[in-house]
Amino acid sequence: MTRRWTRRELAAIAGAAAMVGVSDASPGNPSIRRRGVVGLGSLTGDAKGKVDAGAAAAAMDSVLRAATGAADITAAVQGLFKPSDVVGIKLNCLGGSRMSPRPEVVSAFVDCLVAGGLAPERIILFERSSRELERAGFEIRRDGSGPQCYGTDNDYDRQPSVSGAIGSCYARLVSTTCTALVSFGVVKDHDLAGVSASLKNWYGVIHNPNKYHDNQCDPYVADVVRHPFIKEKLRLTVLDGVTAQCHGGPAYRASGVFPLAKLAATTDPVAADLWAWKVIDAERVRRGMSTLEAAGRPPRFIATAARHGLGVGELDELREVEV
Amino acid sequence: MTFDRRRFAGILAASAAAAATPGFTEAGRALRVGEVVDGGELPAREASWYKKLDEGRVECQLCPQACTVADAERGTCGVRENRGGTYVTLVHSLACSVHADPIEKKPLFHVMPGELALSFATAGCNVECKFCQNWEISQFRPEQVRSIYLPPEALVEAAKRAGAKLTAATYSEPVIFWEYVRDAARAARKAGLAPTVITNGYIQEEPLKEVLPHLSAVKVDLKSFREEFYREQVRGKLEPVLKALEIIRGADVWLEIVVLLIPTLNDSESEVRDLARWVKSNLGADVPVHFTRFHPTYRLTDLPPTPVKILERAWNVARAEGLNYVYLGNLPTHPGENTVCPGCGGVLIRRLGFKILENRLTKGACPDCERVIPGVWD
Repeated sequence: MTRRWTRRELAAIAGAAAMVGVSDASPGNPSIRRRGVVGLGSLTGDAKGKVDAGAAAAAMDSVLRAATGAADITAAVQGLFKPSDVVGIKLNCLGGSRMSPRPEVVSAFVDCLVAGGLAPERIILFERSSRELERAGFEIRRDGSGPQCYGTDNDYDRQPSVSGAIGSCYARLVSTTCTALVSFGVVKDHDLAGVSASLKNWYGVIHNPNKYHDNQCDPYVADVVRHPFIKEKLRLTVLDGVTAQCHGGPAYRASGVFPLAKLAATTDPVAADLWAWKVIDAERVRRGMSTLEAAGRPPRFIATAARHGLGVGELDELREVEV
Repeated sequence: MTFDRRRFAGILAASAAAAATPGFTEAGRALRVGEVVDGGELPAREASWYKKLDEGRVECQLCPQACTVADAERGTCGVRENRGGTYVTLVHSLACSVHADPIEKKPLFHVMPGELALSFATAGCNVECKFCQNWEISQFRPEQVRSIYLPPEALVEAAKRAGAKLTAATYSEPVIFWEYVRDAARAARKAGLAPTVITNGYIQEEPLKEVLPHLSAVKVDLKSFREEFYREQVRGKLEPVLKALEIIRGADVWLEIVVLLIPTLNDSESEVRDLARWVKSNLGADVPVHFTRFHPTYRLTDLPPTPVKILERAWNVARAEGLNYVYLGNLPTHPGENTVCPGCGGVLIRRLGFKILENRLTKGACPDCERVIPGVWD
């Protein structure tokens, strides 16, 4: 399909490119983006799934350094973001309070960004709707000196953007407001896509995700993410894997939940999904269940995303860096 | 999405008249008739056509998409959601667009010419036409557009106040709010109004057959006569639409067909000929077929409006194939807007856009040769 840009898109893309540079060139330190590398740290919850704030902070510091190869958190953050960036952190709160990024883990990440030199008021936590954020335990904040937190709700571009097979109005937070993006998801099974962790999270920034769930969401997931609104701004993917869900997703289903006890971070969004697929399948096999492939829903969008240059798509290219 | 301010005021006034209609609750609160719903929690009621599957999943049995929907997810239409194994519709009585239109705007040319149809829609659609003219409501989910709570009785009251003799479920895709269509049609019939539906015909057989007895007329948008077009431009399939057309034609309801001719995509002479032959063979020569002019919009902005000569070619081909009532649309002043007697060739109804300039029909027949012209004329 021929790609057509609206004037508004071109202006937004040109603006973003001017601010952050294009392609793979991160601000500060281009080498900080490491294909295939997933930083992994141990992080466990209590009986109710709550995580100790100190443990979350320590784990976050470690995995961010592992993901970027930076010597310290300041170098990691400054390698990924410029002080002038408006950083949008897309949370995946579809699973409600029991299968969403934990507020205390997200808070640890925000603290790292601030420690690395970003102004708190230039950090925006967001999801499709404010209601979903609140259900997951987040407090809505639209002003003040701290990080903001609110839903896209109805604030989409007025005209659709075409990217591959999709035609969608992107959230203005993504197309216009933010100059850098982070995907902050969970590790869970998805009834149609196979896996919902990293790339699938971005379905939450288009107005019509319901149109793109056929064919196991392939090639649509990759098409959403390869639009320059996301591709040129996406710096990092973080996954709260304290608990994960190997079956029955994307909604919370207690019988599918297991303690993964991991926190993951990577600059390669496709590698993040590869890792999620791997750990979900491992748990399914441990339980005597079929793998996602045998169940008829391998996350095929991963290979498609890799073909579009969004990251690595083969397990032998995945490098897990445990800390 | 826009409300006509004058009509909107009329609807709200009608709401007061229909205040006895019980609203339904959502999140423990009763919705008032006429209340604006702009984002926020949507009303929900159990959908009528679905099957429960294992592990909390459901299979929608309303349209040929036949979505299998996991808990907390929605179907392709974006207006039906699985809530813990129960499939709910989020748009019953939630109208995002309401307007009193001439019936010619639908277009239904053989149904009560010159009368108004209280036209209504909710957000959502079960396909994604790249050329959708109403994409700002059809391609959005209900929480993304501004709507009002307008239950069937209030809708009928609004129609009466507007002087409308018909209702029309239209604008987006009525199939996705089929329970609302059904209940509004029942209420309209009860009040002496003629309920109509303007649809893509992308619906399973059972829900179609269940609602048809409550309708006076149906207009179906036949997007193309090629499966490839349906796959690439519509994200649907042709075959179920043809089946729906046959079912509608076999029911006691008036049927008209509209074909939007899009340059280079579905406007070839061979395709128009195949379509006309199929209509004549399977539905009969008396089913009106409208060929309408495309204008660039939504995702098809790189094609020009349909050339008049292409429309005229389709008009000529379909008539040459034996269809008795072939019209051209979005071409004001063109003679293809007029109803012509197939018997004597006399002009029976002269139109200008949505206006009736002259109606010579006499008791549903040609005044010159007395040939009966099929339609719903009273």
